[in-house]
Amino acid sequence: MQTKGIKRQIGWLYVLPAILILLTFLIIPFLMSFSYSFTNYNILTPWAKQYVGFTNYINTFKDPVFLQSLKNIAQFVIFIMPIQVGAALGLALIVNKKRPGNTFFKISFFAPQVVSLTVVSILWMYILNPDQGLLNGILGIFHIKPQPFLTSPKQAMFAIIGVSAWQGAGYQMLIFLAGLQNIPDSLYEAAELDGANSWQRFLHITLPMLKPTSMMILTTTFISAFNLVIQPMIMTQGGPQNATMTPIYYIYRTGFTDRQLGYASAMSVIYGIIIIIFTIIQRKITNAGGDENA
Amino acid sequence: MEKWKLGVATVAAIAALGLAGCSNNQGSSNSKNVTMWVHVSNTDPEGKALQKNVNDFNKENKHGYKAKVQFIPRSGSGGGYEDKVNAALNSGSLPDVLTLDGPNTAAYAHSKIIQPIDKYITNKKDILPTIIKQGTYKGKLYAAGYSESSIGIYYNKKMFKEAGIKDSEIATLKHPWTWTQFKDICKRLKNHFHEPAINMNLNDHSEMALYSLAPFVWSAGGSITNPAGTKAVGYFNSKQTTSAFQLIQDMVKDGYTTISPKDKGFETGKYAMMMTGTWEVQTLQNQYKNLQWGVMPYPVSPATHKQVSPTGSWQYAMSSTAKNKKAAGALINFLMSKKCMYRSDMANTVLPARKSVSKMMMPKVNEQMRFFIKQNQTTGHARPVLVNYPQVTRTFADTVQNVTLYKKNPNVQKVMNEQAKVIQKYLQK
Repeated sequence: MQTKGIKRQIGWLYVLPAILILLTFLIIPFLMSFSYSFTNYNILTPWAKQYVGFTNYINTFKDPVFLQSLKNIAQFVIFIMPIQVGAALGLALIVNKKRPGNTFFKISFFAPQVVSLTVVSILWMYILNPDQGLLNGILGIFHIKPQPFLTSPKQAMFAIIGVSAWQGAGYQMLIFLAGLQNIPDSLYEAAELDGANSWQRFLHITLPMLKPTSMMILTTTFISAFNLVIQPMIMTQGGPQNATMTPIYYIYRTGFTDRQLGYASAMSVIYGIIIIIFTIIQRKITNAGGDENA
Repeated sequence: MEKWKLGVATVAAIAALGLAGCSNNQGSSNSKNVTMWVHVSNTDPEGKALQKNVNDFNKENKHGYKAKVQFIPRSGSGGGYEDKVNAALNSGSLPDVLTLDGPNTAAYAHSKIIQPIDKYITNKKDILPTIIKQGTYKGKLYAAGYSESSIGIYYNKKMFKEAGIKDSEIATLKHPWTWTQFKDICKRLKNHFHEPAINMNLNDHSEMALYSLAPFVWSAGGSITNPAGTKAVGYFNSKQTTSAFQLIQDMVKDGYTTISPKDKGFETGKYAMMMTGTWEVQTLQNQYKNLQWGVMPYPVSPATHKQVSPTGSWQYAMSSTAKNKKAAGALINFLMSKKCMYRSDMANTVLPARKSVSKMMMPKVNEQMRFFIKQNQTTGHARPVLVNYPQVTRTFADTVQNVTLYKKNPNVQKVMNEQAKVIQKYLQK
């Protein structure tokens, strides 16, 4: 009996660091911001915060910038998923074939991943500069007139989607690559004997065998896409005309620049709930796919 | 058994250490001690000069006060330092004296984070009126600015000559350009070099927008709010204010300036002019030795001919929780003295906040800095002192961005009417 009790205590001890970290950095802050969301907490007057009921929540739904930021992030998520995951799969297929110089390409495709997002953003600001940028230079060769990119409300978000996909695809390429290398050669050989061409082999062997990997990549891309903040913060400051304002950036700005922590907390609670709902839906879809496969 | 006890003890010890690390070890409140936080690093010239000034205070004051400075370097836009101040507000561990940026005066005073320092500062008449205005909230002086800043129009002498602009046409403090003359010069430069004539930093949507472009508004006789800071509608969308934003839109529309300037366009001789601050003097001198350049004042509104330039910088203030007010006040007053201000402003190559220090600096600095000192004293205009300044300055920057997207927003007055309402939301009733 006694040893069992001690074992249990040791068990708790093992998980204690994890619990402490989760409590300190996740659970307690979440509960705190939940309670702040019902107050008029100003960062400069923490002692004077008063209970304001649901005012912050009601204001959130009347705030055009917050609503716009939700639209923007929806646009980002919808476009980044196929572009980034598609690019990752394409790159993985390219480097999966054994040919000379493969390692060089593998490293090149992965390289953006090891550069910090801030550096990537600054680098792309130069590339996307309408007057002297590299990209407009290249477009000029094909007689396409210079594009405004980040200075246009219509193009800015697409520019950010492109940059984000460029930065993120390399890492997912590696995961796809691992998935590809796990597909037994015998399957391809058998298909070849049956007369399947390369497109058919890709469609009926590669894709189905990559399903678990794809699901994992789709889920992680989906969740991280909701946290978009660094690229617009550096490249456009949420502009032009809030075209690239994202919920996380707006929450940060409201809380720490405008000092309205109460209001920012209400927005973060709402946004947290939105992300949880979408994640549950996404998991349901993913699991359903998994069951089919099994 | 022993092992798990040891484990628990270890974890407890680590946790205790961690907590101790978070807590504030300011020491006991000995009334002779003054604590001070500053936003600069102790390795840069400004920090070093400040440390020397504080050492002098500790030696020279007759009451035996001992000041201790903590250097908390800020990140680009003030990040790290202000985060620390915000955290200290929560835990009630502010120092006795702290530095704060000009636009924060109203918010800090309104929130009672800092307290009036009128009675501790001596020889106030010698301090520039713009500095007094920047540090004053509801009639009381809350913060003392120890340096000034300004912006001018830097121009490339060689390019001007090439475009046929005569020396007699160069703008001076005595004979500034009107906006019409300014646009005419821009046109000639643009036609000659087939590039925008001036980089007005319109890609910068930070505080820089209000700081550098509000002088156009003030020159036209416009304003951002009424003097009391309670109304924006009728002020931000007034004819005068709108005329300044119309100028900005026209400059972009006519191709005289650009919303996406080339990096180092002025420094590398692509643009003939650049609107930027005093800090550029050193950069040009040290890194672009072959560039022949000069500085001109802001062009003035043809309707008023009123000369205006931007001002403002960081200041010293006393926290509301200062333990020994006299000691804290004495430190601020000492740091604001001629000797200290001269030392720190010379070290940092910034404009002085006292008239007497200007006289001391004039013979020691170069021609361009002399221009800036003069411009600052004769045409300087303080930024509005508003509690919700961060929101107001951002709305100003948004407005600039809106009018420069001229195809989408051709009607400047309409933009101003909308944005005035946005600013109105942020003003204290």
